Amino acid sequence: MSGEIIGIFGLGALFVLLALRIPVGLAMVLVGIGGNFALSLALPYLRFEPYLYQFKSLLWSSAANYDLSVVTLFILMGYLATTANLSRDLFQGVNAFAGKYRGGVAMSAIGACAGFGAVCGSSLATASTMGRVALPELRRLNYAPGFATGVLAAGGTLGILIPPSVALVIYAIIVEASILEMFQAAIIPGLIAVLFFIFAIAVIVRIKPSLAPEAQPMAKEERRVAIRRLIPVVVIFGAIIMGLGLGLFTPTPAAGIGVFLILVYGLYLRRFGEGLSLAGIKESLLATAVTSGMIYFILFGAEVLKGFFTRAGLPEALASWAGASSLDPLSIIVVMLIALIILGCFMDSLSMILVVVPFLWPVLVEINGGDYATADTAAFAMDANELKIWFGILSLIVIELGLITPPVGLNVFIISALAGDVKMGDTFKGVIPFFGIEIVRIALILLFPAIALFVPRLLSG
Amino acid sequence: MPKKLDWIISGWALLAGFLTLLIVVVTTLNTAAFGADKIARFFDANIAGLAGYEDFVRLAISAAALMFFPYCQRQKGHVAVDLFAEHFSIRTQQILEKIILILTVILALFLAYWMSLGMISAYEDFASSPILGWPNWPFYIPGILSLILWALVAAMQFSEKRTNG
Repeated sequence: MSGEIIGIFGLGALFVLLALRIPVGLAMVLVGIGGNFALSLALPYLRFEPYLYQFKSLLWSSAANYDLSVVTLFILMGYLATTANLSRDLFQGVNAFAGKYRGGVAMSAIGACAGFGAVCGSSLATASTMGRVALPELRRLNYAPGFATGVLAAGGTLGILIPPSVALVIYAIIVEASILEMFQAAIIPGLIAVLFFIFAIAVIVRIKPSLAPEAQPMAKEERRVAIRRLIPVVVIFGAIIMGLGLGLFTPTPAAGIGVFLILVYGLYLRRFGEGLSLAGIKESLLATAVTSGMIYFILFGAEVLKGFFTRAGLPEALASWAGASSLDPLSIIVVMLIALIILGCFMDSLSMILVVVPFLWPVLVEINGGDYATADTAAFAMDANELKIWFGILSLIVIELGLITPPVGLNVFIISALAGDVKMGDTFKGVIPFFGIEIVRIALILLFPAIALFVPRLLSG
Repeated sequence: MPKKLDWIISGWALLAGFLTLLIVVVTTLNTAAFGADKIARFFDANIAGLAGYEDFVRLAISAAALMFFPYCQRQKGHVAVDLFAEHFSIRTQQILEKIILILTVILALFLAYWMSLGMISAYEDFASSPILGWPNWPFYIPGILSLILWALVAAMQFSEKRTNG
């Protein structure tokens, strides 16, 4: 039996184990080790014992990674921001400006989701946090329940792309791209999403005024307090995003400073009986332990699995198959994106990045003309580095789309569960316009790669 | 789960959290020095950053990352695909969960064994960080202890299930 066939069996085994609810990291390690054992039986020159020796340092060296420290720091930053109630300040602050328009509170929720998603880096956490903050307000003001939950489920997806995002970091590490360039590339597509979502709300409530009540501007004093409380949040979030965008600091210092500023501000708020208590900090540290532990284990699993598939020669086989197929490059990428949308209905975004991207990436490189293809000769008219960035942005948008796609749509689940009395179907209906907008956004970036590549090109000179 | 083990696991995760906070402090100081240096250059002066900063972060996160594992297991935080298994009968789900816990115990002990050998190799080879020159092997110890604790937590969860089931 050839290595490629064993690799394909391994891939099948991985999906079976995942379907049996084996944790993603564990399934990857099991298939990786089991697959290498099978390879050693079928192909005696691939001996199993020397393979095992890599476990002496593999786990430690996967953890001892400077770039990866940013993941833990961003996760901690997100939890501290949540515990310190910065999400509420953000929402109320944006609402002070947008609340005077019909649908303004929903628009504020989108703005706050974008801001909080930037600092939190996780779509699910953004959806659940902003759901807790904004949903009661939307319901109190008599927004249509399905519209309110739909807005928040869609708004939650903004977290995955708006930098700094944990998913962007993981993607960059997997394909060996620059984290900073990924962050820079995500800025314009992220802003487009926010503007499109806000525009969609404005249009929807104009067409169907029953979905949103007449605007109720905030009282003068309430507005003043909301704006005052928004300023420090904007300064903290803005410092991180601007610093990264302008290349003033790299992701790890940005994350470190972000945690530091939120800690200082959260402790300052204690003077007013709010902000971060010791119990709150402890709670954030323990929550960080759970999320980081989960991510590091999956990353280690991906490393083991990658070793198996590489030894089996599977990525090269897929790449040469794709290269020999009659499909044009753009069609292949569209097929890949559709596959990601379908998979996104069943798997969480991080697992998808770690399981699927390592397969797709070599195929794209092969189609593009290899690692050293230049923009003039490459099939996608861009070199491998730009291809990494462009495909990363596209695939992350598609992956986030899975969070609002039936039948699973994790964001829809979360928001409907938070609302309690809103049916999943109603939330899915509320999400449909935003789903359509996302498809338009994907098409735009697919046809005009400069949308993603403009900022990294500009800043790299 | 025994209260003492629960306490140890939470404390171990908090210790990893404090290591993370230490990284935050060191990173902030280093970045502040970096920024101050840019200003100082206008006055023909230099302010040095922390020597070996990246080494420190790398070694500290190597310990912290693995120290998160037992608490993550304690909270059943390892992500899984829920879609299909929830259609299985309760009995099948319980059996699957037991199998997962056994596999977790075996994997954690397997990794602990190989990592112990890795620590001995790192000690014998004088493997160290490039700038600080700190030996790598002591930073394997928290990882090995974490893997043993991880196995212990999974074993306890397995026995809990057996009692309940």
